[in-house]
Amino acid sequence: MTETRPQVALAVRNLNFYYGQNHALHDISIDFPARKVTAMIGPSGCGKSTLLRIFNRMYDLYPGQRATGEVLFDGRNILETGLDLNILRARIGMVFQKPTPFPMSIYDNIAFGVRLHERLNKADMDARVQDVLTRVALWNEVRDRLNAPAAGLSGGQQQRLCIARSIATRPEVLLLDEPTSALDPISTARIEELLDELKEEFTIAIVTHNMQQAARCADQVAFFYMGRLIEVDTADRIFTNPRQQQTQDYITGRFG
Amino acid sequence: MTLAPARQPDKVSAPESKEKRSSADTAFQAIVGGCSLIVLIALGGLVVLMGVGGQEAFRTFGLGFTFRDVWNPVTNDYGAWAPLFGTIISTLIGVLIAMPLAFGTAFWLTAIAPPKVAAVVGTAVQLLAAVPSIIFGMWGFFTIVPFMARHVQPFMMHHFRHVPGISLLIHGAPFGTGLMTAGIVLAMMIAPFMTAVMRDVFGAMPGMLRESAYGLGATRWDVMWKVVVPWSRTGMIGATVLGMGRALGETMAVTFVIGNVTSVGWSLFAPRSTVASLIALQFPESPAGSLRLSSLLALGFILMLLSFASLSLARMLRKDGK
Repeated sequence: MTETRPQVALAVRNLNFYYGQNHALHDISIDFPARKVTAMIGPSGCGKSTLLRIFNRMYDLYPGQRATGEVLFDGRNILETGLDLNILRARIGMVFQKPTPFPMSIYDNIAFGVRLHERLNKADMDARVQDVLTRVALWNEVRDRLNAPAAGLSGGQQQRLCIARSIATRPEVLLLDEPTSALDPISTARIEELLDELKEEFTIAIVTHNMQQAARCADQVAFFYMGRLIEVDTADRIFTNPRQQQTQDYITGRFG
Repeated sequence: MTLAPARQPDKVSAPESKEKRSSADTAFQAIVGGCSLIVLIALGGLVVLMGVGGQEAFRTFGLGFTFRDVWNPVTNDYGAWAPLFGTIISTLIGVLIAMPLAFGTAFWLTAIAPPKVAAVVGTAVQLLAAVPSIIFGMWGFFTIVPFMARHVQPFMMHHFRHVPGISLLIHGAPFGTGLMTAGIVLAMMIAPFMTAVMRDVFGAMPGMLRESAYGLGATRWDVMWKVVVPWSRTGMIGATVLGMGRALGETMAVTFVIGNVTSVGWSLFAPRSTVASLIALQFPESPAGSLRLSSLLALGFILMLLSFASLSLARMLRKDGK
């Protein structure tokens, strides 16, 4: 790794978030180390998905939702007005709870995002499609039916396709919102393996309800409760020796 | 299904109540079955009534009745082509105008408008859809017809008179009535319907799918054309066919503004007639048993077939998309 690459991909400072009158996130400050996996855990409604959706300004689609504070990405506060959201979203990709293949072919699902930001000739595009499908370990399964509708794939394949689609625009950060919650254990294991490889290149922020998953995949774990960041530490510390009683209670299943 | 024993006073009454139950069940089945049967009877009855009533016209003029361009009560010579032509063209114009209008409104309502504004406009759309067609007819007569006569057609004549092809479509005296006017009024009538249906279709699309597209950095335009439209294809076809069905049979609004001349021609600004408007106007003056009445019933028969055809076309398109 070169020394010039930043050590912190996303730096959150005093972030507050509101759904209309509802104050959903309180004074969050947290760093997301570059090329590491940060898992966000906590009971439903604690604000972890909300935080994720701030990083690509998804909340902008919905009137009445607003954020204050700072999220520094590449030296710039992404909460600023006037930021080009289309470019931001190409640099910070997102994968959702359920697979969301577009109603088009497997190939076009990948090419869709690339075409938004780059003009590639046919050969380069083919190469890009093959590259990302190979990296999500899908290439061998779909190479003969790239032009078939993506809806025909299994759930696990669809989710890997969605990850491939997100990394095809060559983002720096990958946001994963409970990416395996709709998948069977085998597909889940494959996605988790994949995260391990992807973190060589991408900074990954993953929201999960699955404590084992957080323990297995994450370098850093953040525990949220009622819109507050209770504790953030290495995965080892959080799961073996948390400093806060609330964290202890949550990971041992006493509430949540 | 068994009754709870505690509820039964004694064992003797048990079989009785079971019997009562089953007879009530049978009666219920008969009633709902009867309701469904009425649908079939009504449909069959309509086809038979129109078919039998129009028999004489078909016998006199042959099946070619459909494509004969003549409607002359004086010589008792009839053919369906002129009103049929008017119906098809005015419907096409109406659908062509209404489709982008409905699509744009529905997309704006679901994806762009602030929820409060969308609620108000959405209600307005539903109210507009509930306006009786005769209101649209009067509005067309008092507003669109003079506007077409004074502004649109003169403007078109002035600028496109010498353009081959287009001049054909716009020639004629500026009456203001005609296919174009009828098409515009029809569009205003069916657009709210189509908007309401399309809005439901867009609303049914999973939010996550939309967000996925935005999440890749897509603009609203990309999301609309590459994700929303392909995803909602089936529903949009359904909406369009609903609108088309209403336009095909629309009587009052069209009768007000089409000019009611039974002729066929290229000009979209010349007065024409449609099947429904012709039937409405001439029915009262056609004596029972006359060839003229039979021809009108035959027209009705053809209009029904046309509606069925558009419905099956929609079914076919829908299967294609799957």
